[in-house]
Amino acid sequence: MPAGISIKDLNFSFNPGQQVLKNINLEINPGEKFGIIGPMGAGKSTLLLHLNGILNGSGTIQIGDTIVSKKTLPEIRKKVGIVFQNPDDQLFNPTVEEDVAFGPLNFGYSREEVSEMVDYALESMNLKGFEKLVSHHLSMGERKRVALATVLATKPDVIGFDEPFSSLDPTMIKQLLNILNNLESTLVIISQNYLPLIACCQRVALINKGEIKAVGPTKEIIQNSDLMLENGIDLSLYKSICNDFFHSPKN
Amino acid sequence: MNHSFIDKYSDINSPIHRFDPRLKFIFVILCVAIIVSQPRGQLLPYAFYGMMVISIMLLSRIPITFMLRRMLFVLPFILMASLFYPISIYIYDSASFPSIQNEAFSVAFSIFFKGSLSVILLILLISTEKFHNIISGMRMLKMPKIIGVISALMYRYIFIFSDEAMKTSMARNSRTPGRLKVNKIKVYGNQMAMIFIRSWDRSQNIYNAMVSRGFNGEFATMKEFKIKKSEIALFTLAIIMFLVIRVGSEIIL
Repeated sequence: MPAGISIKDLNFSFNPGQQVLKNINLEINPGEKFGIIGPMGAGKSTLLLHLNGILNGSGTIQIGDTIVSKKTLPEIRKKVGIVFQNPDDQLFNPTVEEDVAFGPLNFGYSREEVSEMVDYALESMNLKGFEKLVSHHLSMGERKRVALATVLATKPDVIGFDEPFSSLDPTMIKQLLNILNNLESTLVIISQNYLPLIACCQRVALINKGEIKAVGPTKEIIQNSDLMLENGIDLSLYKSICNDFFHSPKN
Repeated sequence: MNHSFIDKYSDINSPIHRFDPRLKFIFVILCVAIIVSQPRGQLLPYAFYGMMVISIMLLSRIPITFMLRRMLFVLPFILMASLFYPISIYIYDSASFPSIQNEAFSVAFSIFFKGSLSVILLILLISTEKFHNIISGMRMLKMPKIIGVISALMYRYIFIFSDEAMKTSMARNSRTPGRLKVNKIKVYGNQMAMIFIRSWDRSQNIYNAMVSRGFNGEFATMKEFKIKKSEIALFTLAIIMFLVIRVGSEIIL
């Protein structure tokens, strides 16, 4: 069951005086595919790490009907899965099967259930037959799919993605988009690749210097050149290249 | 990156691989204790211990070349430890050394055999079982949780170090036409520092990824731990054989 996300007055700093997140308020609907954009160092990944309690700022985060707190961490981590930017950070077991089984085993499922979950996750990611392969010997695209399978195995209500489209070729991006569009969970996607984000997310939040500057329909926000430029995202190069490329006589 | 996992032969199907990891662990500890307790200077019993260990190695189907490569890492240390005894006697009393040299070298051989056989048994233990199964087995034998977590994380993080070392070496080599011409120590020092910083960063990310998938300090495993009666019988027989060599040598020699 996809769950909604409600973030109220979230503030966070790694060091005193260096606030990374400032007064974040955000509502994400159950089942929504929601994007988070912003320049480098804006606080996007830090916000994502708050969703399943890896980082704890002041304020309230609610996933479905559960408030993120120390007491609810086991439940929250079952509900919220995070796919990290670098799949090598997520895949630390010798084989694909063991990596996918890691989460379900920690959540206390029986061996039969874990086996079913591994089968389901690998099948969903078209990774059947990869069970005994060494994760680190796979291609980047395959490793990204395994990383997603490791999270998908427990069928979380919310899945957070940190730069899922980076280091992927256009074909792999298309495959990943198909996968994301077919997921029932609520998705929170951080990406600097705006085209796949437009294809996937209904709404986005624009973050800069730890503050939410705008929330709205993806196209509306990304097409607002002034707003984007004000917040350190210059898309004029993309636009001129796209215009030249798609409107040149050869095409 | 292509890593050499210490348990890369743990998927082989052999009688030794099929043993419960707890029994294997206890067996290795007992055997090492028996071998180490052998009085110094008696060399014949080591031939029998050696035959026993080699039989176990052959039964495990672990390639001998792999075992030898692993042994090469520790052999210099064992050699150093065993040679230390005669050398120290020679330095202490060089005049009477010729009269006691046979005894000194016999002790050196004893130390060498004790060390080598114990290391072979340990290599067999970690090569015939997945590392996390050994940790889980040891946890079931009431090993403290903190030791389990430290061992398991150390095993995982070792690959991060080697990964980062390989990456930084590649970066250095790609900008080094031929031999390094600048101050080598400074370059290697900087590289080491970079490896530590990058490994620290990545280990933090990996820990976050583990925690976000419910990691709470226990390494759960898919393996079902079950000790069969036949395993207990074989285990007891093997231990008795080691004890027979140990006690027999005491009586006969």
